Amino acid sequence: MSRNRELFLFVVVALAFVLQLSVMPQFKLLGVQPDLILVVAIVVAVQDGPVAGAVVGFVGGMLQDIASPQVMGVSALTKTLAGFMAGVLKDFFMTYSILLPVLLVFFLTFFEILLHQGVMVVLGEDVLPPLRAGVMFAAALYNVLAVLVIYPLLRRFRFPEKEDSLLVTRRA
Amino acid sequence: MPAAPRTSRNRIILILLIIVCVSVVTLYVRETDSGPLHKVQNFFLDLVSPVSSVFAKVFRPIKDGFVNLVHLPSLSKERADLQREVAELRRQRIESKEIIEENQELRKLLDWGETQAEFETVGADIIGQSPDNWQRLMIVNKGSSAGVKKYMAVVTEEGLVGRVISVGSRSSVVQLVTDSRSGVGARIQRSRETGIVEGRNEEIIRFVPMNQDADIRKGDVIETSGLGGTVPPGVVIGKVSDVKKRSSGLDRFVEVRPYVSYSKLDKVLIIVTPEPESVILKEAQ
Repeated sequence: MSRNRELFLFVVVALAFVLQLSVMPQFKLLGVQPDLILVVAIVVAVQDGPVAGAVVGFVGGMLQDIASPQVMGVSALTKTLAGFMAGVLKDFFMTYSILLPVLLVFFLTFFEILLHQGVMVVLGEDVLPPLRAGVMFAAALYNVLAVLVIYPLLRRFRFPEKEDSLLVTRRA
Repeated sequence: MPAAPRTSRNRIILILLIIVCVSVVTLYVRETDSGPLHKVQNFFLDLVSPVSSVFAKVFRPIKDGFVNLVHLPSLSKERADLQREVAELRRQRIESKEIIEENQELRKLLDWGETQAEFETVGADIIGQSPDNWQRLMIVNKGSSAGVKKYMAVVTEEGLVGRVISVGSRSSVVQLVTDSRSGVGARIQRSRETGIVEGRNEEIIRFVPMNQDADIRKGDVIETSGLGGTVPPGVVIGKVSDVKKRSSGLDRFVEVRPYVSYSKLDKVLIIVTPEPESVILKEAQ
């Protein structure tokens, strides 16, 4: 990954975090809001691989943990794993179709929510918010809407190093 | 690069990240509220609040438009004015009811020294909300420099919003009564039956009466009881919207619709005087 791309991803994570904190809660539907950090982590994992996805998930999740009075490190952990898994899973599907990130975001939203709740149970959290299939489904659908915007945007900002290697591979 | 070393490098990075996360979680859970990680949270809140404040202001018109679109397309200024008027009338009606009942109680007890304490409040703008779907929190632009302390009650003219759970120097985090971790001492205004109002991460909250045989009717007004030492008594919370019996028939679900419309909140009041008993006790120690 080029230095420019790294810098770009850092700005994307920072922007996603600020939007998540101040803007996304305004657009709640059925009590849920899109999880931009998770979506960005998965999109980055699809475009740049599992480690990039995990690092973006880690940084974004940690920012999210620090910004709200919840147990620090839990969102970082769940989003790191979700980002990494997205990067690993995308290798099984040799496609550049937007359907891939859409499916990954849909299913990994369920994974991330269940993992988050599981970690909180392990930590002895006795009052957990009710976990309803409807809420998880709504959150997954909302995240899918977000990925339809974020995926093409992040694809537009791919930097020459990556493009060149792709072209070389195709020509060969 | 060969695939095998790259995979093992990926694994090492993942394991390192997991170790960092687990270490942070462990340290956070073990430390007290004044520990370094909690301080980092408060410091970061102050750092982010100006940016968040700008974004919140910029997106407020869009948010209002979205809320109007979601709730009712016909929502207009007239409706907002009417709602404000209704809220004001409701508050006046409830206040007068409250005064009458308090007066009766005082007469009974012959304790004329007890009077309704005047609340001193600090106005605050909402500059952010919980960044995830599992908490119902709001970030406001007033902190310890404005006299805000942990556990102080947050209200609007419509009723109780929640209480402060984390304080930075220029911003604070407010836990809404709808948060699933929120529990506020409450009572039924008509029958004075006490209980606890619990959030469920939904619009509707639940009143759990101390006495399972308590006289509770649909339409009863629920207000704070002052028990628990955080929220002052007599602040209205909501109205009983339904009383359901469990299938076992042993206890009841009392559903309460809060008066405050959380999705439309822009400004709140933080009650700084009288201070919550829990704060006074903590400071005395």
